[in-house]
Amino acid sequence: MFLKKHPVAVMFLLGFVLSPLLQPQGALAIPAFSRQHKTECSTCHTIYPELNEFGDAFLKNSYVWPRKENIAAAAGPAAEAGEKGSVSEWARISGLPEQIPVSFTATADLAYDDEAYDGNEFDLSTRSLRLHAGGAFRDKAGFFATYNLYAQGQQRGQVSGSPSNSANSPPNNAPDINELFLIWRHALDTPINLKVGRFEPKLSLWKRSNRVITVPSYASTTYLVGRSPFSIDAPQDGIELSALLGNRLLLAGGMVDRNGQDQTDGYGHVSYKIAGTDFKGEEPEVDLENDSVWDYLTITLGAFGYWGRNGQFDNFGIAQNLNDIRRAGAEMDILYKRLHLKGGGTFGRDSNPMFANTAVSHDSHAYAFEGEYYLGAPVNLIPLFRYEYQDGIGGGTRRYMPALVYAPLQNTRLSLQYMHSDAPEGISRIAFASLAFSL
Amino acid sequence: MKKFLVTMLVVAATATSAHAGLKIIGKGDAMHLDASAFPAAMKANYEIVRVKCVKCHTLERTIVAIKTGVAPISGQPFDRSATKAYGVKMLRKPDSNMSKPEVKASVDLMNYLLAESEQ
Repeated sequence: MFLKKHPVAVMFLLGFVLSPLLQPQGALAIPAFSRQHKTECSTCHTIYPELNEFGDAFLKNSYVWPRKENIAAAAGPAAEAGEKGSVSEWARISGLPEQIPVSFTATADLAYDDEAYDGNEFDLSTRSLRLHAGGAFRDKAGFFATYNLYAQGQQRGQVSGSPSNSANSPPNNAPDINELFLIWRHALDTPINLKVGRFEPKLSLWKRSNRVITVPSYASTTYLVGRSPFSIDAPQDGIELSALLGNRLLLAGGMVDRNGQDQTDGYGHVSYKIAGTDFKGEEPEVDLENDSVWDYLTITLGAFGYWGRNGQFDNFGIAQNLNDIRRAGAEMDILYKRLHLKGGGTFGRDSNPMFANTAVSHDSHAYAFEGEYYLGAPVNLIPLFRYEYQDGIGGGTRRYMPALVYAPLQNTRLSLQYMHSDAPEGISRIAFASLAFSL
Repeated sequence: MKKFLVTMLVVAATATSAHAGLKIIGKGDAMHLDASAFPAAMKANYEIVRVKCVKCHTLERTIVAIKTGVAPISGQPFDRSATKAYGVKMLRKPDSNMSKPEVKASVDLMNYLLAESEQ
């Protein structure tokens, strides 16, 4: 009786109770960075793919272990011997990674939607397999790639699943490459890093994959307006310059090549980290004799702007009925011991988001707040709650999302989430369970 | 004679190279220190390290760093300033379950071991 009345609650409760029993036995391998540096996933992640402070520093250091490039010079013969001893001569001379830096992530999802349009309340037909590659050529360059090997079904709440759609590429260009870029680190011995390829433009504090619950992404960074497929967290083809100044200030800016027209988009980002581990992975000075709130507190502030133009492609791949895009946003990340709070908001203006012959502009805004508590060892569990609001052409949508994420192994993640959406077209309730593992 | 040679070969193959000032027992994941000669305060500190640190990594990682002066994963120098930085890192790591006094005890022990290994 209760099952019939409250199937979502039953599924959620059952999933939570049984999740520790669903420990996959075969997933013992670990992904590329872990293999390369012979360290565990928790060096860089809380529950993957969310990054901890060191993981964020590793990302910002273009996949080179922070401070590793200057070991020999700084530490003398002992360190030099240790470093050389850990890398084969051919790899050191050629600059190649010793192992092929490839890993895979697989996901399988179960969704329950009591108002599914086709009556299929339980949907177990969504799964995906993605290939990742990443690493560094000595300390000169970093590289990263993600390739969508296979995807079946549409993950619930994912508003822009196909990279070709989200990047507004012509219809005859449907790449499975989600990201593929090279970073020239400290170009010409300056603090500037030069990134070229297909990547998420550095706008938000958090990469789209840098969260415990990845689907849906934050409304503040993934929202769409009208028929325009543009969102600020979509991978784009571009060039980006970034620089760390004083270890705690990050500046980034770049341009995006948009197909079907002669104009390029531009963007900029600034973020500043107050206290905590700095962007280069250096720990803060802590007095081990006395307590202070700053021992555990980290605050990161960020702001960004984006301006560009897209349009609807005709049969020749030429953009028509052009839409000028403007976005500006601000974000904050607060970490205190096991508590992690994230929040951000974005304002935007689209001159013709419906790609109509007669342009009608629309001002938009969206914001998202998320709080998570990392229970950690001995139970790698994170309960979290997200609230977000998104203003669309037809009205506003509010979304409430409690979730539980459990990692039985460092490379395996089980998540259970409930999404209550209050949209102009009605209320929807979706329960969503996901199993993912990387190897 | 043959038995003696075989025995010696087995002993040679399984022996662990011990640093001058440190008595190291076992190898690999089972590697640990003989704390019998430690001062009382350091014996207590070693108990903290032995219980707390191995929740996330082996003692081998720490011992290799002390023996070689190089942290095995990062390749960075492992000296007195590094022990403090690692202590702070573990203090701030959300699931390390280490209090400030425990971190201080661990840092004190690593500094003591560094000094011992230099002798």
